[in-house]
Amino acid sequence: MSRINIDQFDVDGAVAEARGQLSRAELLTAGLGAIAGALALAQPAAAARLSATDRAVLNYALSLEYLQAAFYTEAERSKAITGKAGKAARTVGAVERAHVAAFLDLLGTDAVKRPRFDFKGVTEDRDAFLKTAVAFEDLAVAAYKDQAIRIESPAVVSAALGIHTVEARHAAWMRYLNGIKPANAAFDEPDSKRKVLALVEDTGFIASAPRTTAARKPGFSG
Amino acid sequence: MPMLVLGQENDDARVLDLLLLVEQTEAAFYAAALDAGILEGELLDFAQTVAAHEREHLAVVEAAVGDPSTAPEFDFTRHLAEPEAFARAAARLEDAAVGAYNGQAGNVSTKVFTVAARIVSVEARHAAWVRSIEDRDPAPDATDRALTEAQVRRRLDEIGGTA
Repeated sequence: MSRINIDQFDVDGAVAEARGQLSRAELLTAGLGAIAGALALAQPAAAARLSATDRAVLNYALSLEYLQAAFYTEAERSKAITGKAGKAARTVGAVERAHVAAFLDLLGTDAVKRPRFDFKGVTEDRDAFLKTAVAFEDLAVAAYKDQAIRIESPAVVSAALGIHTVEARHAAWMRYLNGIKPANAAFDEPDSKRKVLALVEDTGFIASAPRTTAARKPGFSG
Repeated sequence: MPMLVLGQENDDARVLDLLLLVEQTEAAFYAAALDAGILEGELLDFAQTVAAHEREHLAVVEAAVGDPSTAPEFDFTRHLAEPEAFARAAARLEDAAVGAYNGQAGNVSTKVFTVAARIVSVEARHAAWVRSIEDRDPAPDATDRALTEAQVRRRLDEIGGTA
């Protein structure tokens, strides 16, 4: 078999079945990983069968998920974000880690390596945390929306869309906690990869490229 | 489910018919909720904002359909006796909309896909917003379920169907 078809990635069937057997907490962390696992089971060499275009899209998505997962994980570990914002950081962090795991499963050895991040203290201050979270989530929504149409494999499209709307839920949640309107327009606009990556670079949060490809020694983040 | 290839063998007309019903249901639901006069504070702000969004979505889908059918008759009274019931129904309705768009994305042309993608994330924002107001988990899962057409129609009927 050379094609992955939607039957083998039946989000509805797979998740519906999983829901019956797993507690909500298990489902949360298993989440997308379970679906990626089901795909791998159906297609032992799923990553090898991805087109170059799809590998590029997935690696781009993975790089955004690395950023988000690291951000929320650091916020959780700082213990400085408490109350409703702290609960949101924990819940969203678990989901972003599940997204990372799912993309790593799909990409296998083709996956880009995780860079080192320096969030410059924004994970230790509630206001800075929420402001950054809103920016990341809105950016993720715009990025997935821009990329979904480019994906060639229906299975991967399906996965990307299921994540796209979860990022939108996160965006609305973080906006609500930050006291701004969770949905401020009837339509969400896409953002190009070039624009998204430029915005991410401008934050200075990526302290160093992955070690395997770094051209210079990583700096100290303090 | 059929093999889905974006931009080919699409079924825009059938899909748009379903999405039209989704948007008709949402627009009618929020209009009825505002008419009922039971909302205040955050839930009123939510309903007013979302009602306007859904009217815009409906207009776009109607334009895409070309010759849209008129909305069926709805009955939302069971959700409009008190604000909490409204909030629960709104969350379920927005989830159904997200599932409807995600479930049909593979069946449509690139043109419809692009428009639908701009709408579906706003529906997800609505779903999370109303849960935030009610202090319920706005995003409990790692991925949103895609719903089949039959599942969508059943959920819409559960919320707004006339007995």
